[in-house]
Amino acid sequence: MSLKSLTKDWEPMSYGFLDASAKREIRRKTLKAIAVPGCQMPYASREVPMARGWGTGGLQVSCTLINPKTTVKVIDQGADDSVNAASIRRFLARVSGAPTTTDTLKADLIQSRHRIPEEVLREDQILVLQVPNPEPLRPVQPNMSIARQMHADADYGRMWLQLYEQIVRSGRVMQGASYPSLVHGRFVMTPSPIPRWDVPKMHMAKHLTILSAGREKRIHAVPPFTRVEPLVFDDVPYRVEEHGDLTCTRSGAKGYFMNEIPQPDGTSTYEVSDSELGVKTIRSSEGETIDIGQTWYQNGEMAQ
Amino acid sequence: MAYVATRGGERAIEQSQRLFREAMGDISADRIQEIRDAMPYLIDRVMGEASLYDEDLAALALAQAGGELYEAILLLRAWRTTQPRLALAAPVTQESLFTHRRISAAFKDIPGGQVLGPTLDYAHRILATEVLSGDTYVPTPVDPAEKPAPAQQPSVAAWQAENGLLTLPQADAVQGNDIPDVTREPLLFPAKRAHTLQSLARAETGGVLALGYAAQRGYGQAHPTVNELRLAEAEVVVTHPRGTRFSAGRVKVSQAEVVNKKGEQLELGFAATMGWNEVKVIAAATLDLNSDGAPKGSATEEEFFLYHTEGVESSGFCIHFKLPHYVTFQSSLDAMRDAKAKKAAKATTPEPAE
Repeated sequence: MSLKSLTKDWEPMSYGFLDASAKREIRRKTLKAIAVPGCQMPYASREVPMARGWGTGGLQVSCTLINPKTTVKVIDQGADDSVNAASIRRFLARVSGAPTTTDTLKADLIQSRHRIPEEVLREDQILVLQVPNPEPLRPVQPNMSIARQMHADADYGRMWLQLYEQIVRSGRVMQGASYPSLVHGRFVMTPSPIPRWDVPKMHMAKHLTILSAGREKRIHAVPPFTRVEPLVFDDVPYRVEEHGDLTCTRSGAKGYFMNEIPQPDGTSTYEVSDSELGVKTIRSSEGETIDIGQTWYQNGEMAQ
Repeated sequence: MAYVATRGGERAIEQSQRLFREAMGDISADRIQEIRDAMPYLIDRVMGEASLYDEDLAALALAQAGGELYEAILLLRAWRTTQPRLALAAPVTQESLFTHRRISAAFKDIPGGQVLGPTLDYAHRILATEVLSGDTYVPTPVDPAEKPAPAQQPSVAAWQAENGLLTLPQADAVQGNDIPDVTREPLLFPAKRAHTLQSLARAETGGVLALGYAAQRGYGQAHPTVNELRLAEAEVVVTHPRGTRFSAGRVKVSQAEVVNKKGEQLELGFAATMGWNEVKVIAAATLDLNSDGAPKGSATEEEFFLYHTEGVESSGFCIHFKLPHYVTFQSSLDAMRDAKAKKAAKATTPEPAE
């Protein structure tokens, strides 16, 4: 037996960038997060070659899960062509040799910032959401250690009070994205800053969602077939953005979450936010045979 | 086809980096050496904040980032994270340090003596503008002292403890791999002592100064007296797999001890970092001094200052606001417009009769 037979040859970088000990920690913390849905698991969060706040949490999870056969899709604000999505996709491909795709249906692993694709995800797909702030209690309690205690006690009174105050002051819940949601009837989590439109997609979904905050060093997860219920009062129903009647001016897709594009004449036009769905719709209308998956929303309404 | 922009984004990224790098020109070994030799204090600051002691790598990071400090430190941290932990160095004690500079503001003279060492503290800050018109500024050589100061110096706190002025902290018996390492485990609160000192050691100098200064100005309860400030070199003693203990070299270190009167005893604040960085260790020691019992959410509370002086995290988050946020913005607009419409509708609807 020689030292050479016991060790690997020196390489300037580990497979998937992170070294084995970092990956092991992330795997363990991810498993814990899946075991206790919605509960934030602290992890060391190594530095990666991207700035904190630019998807380093999602990136660490993707780097841990990836293998040469994983087909990866990366989106930012719904778009595959956004510069940061392009940068992360290029990095993941470079450190893993994994193939990339923009097609939601062909992806095994989807890393996303602030959107869940419109096509329904399957059991064999994993969605990794980038999380800027993992703590839903931050607006009512900026101190992390107190907030941790509040989660332990399921002490969400101030959360409810905040929603109630918004209704009293403004006539409605004013929360935009990151709508606080109760997971599996126990932990309130932030679904990351996805629009309210996307939160119902998490409820009893077939796919696994891993939410990872690199800067704040927390992982939480929504396992498949888990209840995700936005915090709402019985008599004030949850409302998604009023995008159900909007039509994309470029693709003609209708009834999906849209980007508003201000026009010089003071009006607005709309473009479908899920850019690949837009591409598919255009190709399909041009006569190509395109596989468009079933979408969560049909005719602007969330399918039951 | 309206939507084939995927490659466009990648091309734009590539060109934007070329634009940035073009301005810096070629990076050669000579440039790295010049940066390293000419700017030791900048190198020290970068090494401290990166928690990576390597002057060449620090100079390379500075050259590659064009002097953008946050970028340089991120480069080093990202490199550091890929490196295996080969060995653990033996702990260093104050008395064992090879001391270059060591001063105390608490006493006129101290056992071992005040050693001014290298400093610009008493220099007149006048620019040597003659250099710009072609002269070379040649530093005047140092006249060595007749009797050199001893290289090793006892700590001031040890004398104070002997005289019953302060109680020295309990020595931490944790050894080797069991020492908590903030780069390999999450920082939780109340923080482990090792995590606190490690976080302060790698904290961003400007951030530590801002919060430390706030405490010094009056937002902290304790007024620091610099008990001892030390710039030194520490021997990195490691154990060879065969058992031989040897020095793998020396690293520059700074440390500050500040004290404050608390009842009949002095309380102690401490900070140390790699490289020579006096401002940082004095400010950090002030925060440490003030953290005990600080109100939640105050600038001197441990959770507050440790989170907010983490330079890679704070700078990263700050610049992330440049990323598109149009989905979240759209979501907020939707709620705003609806609330506004509701208000308008309410104003035009007459109140129902009682």
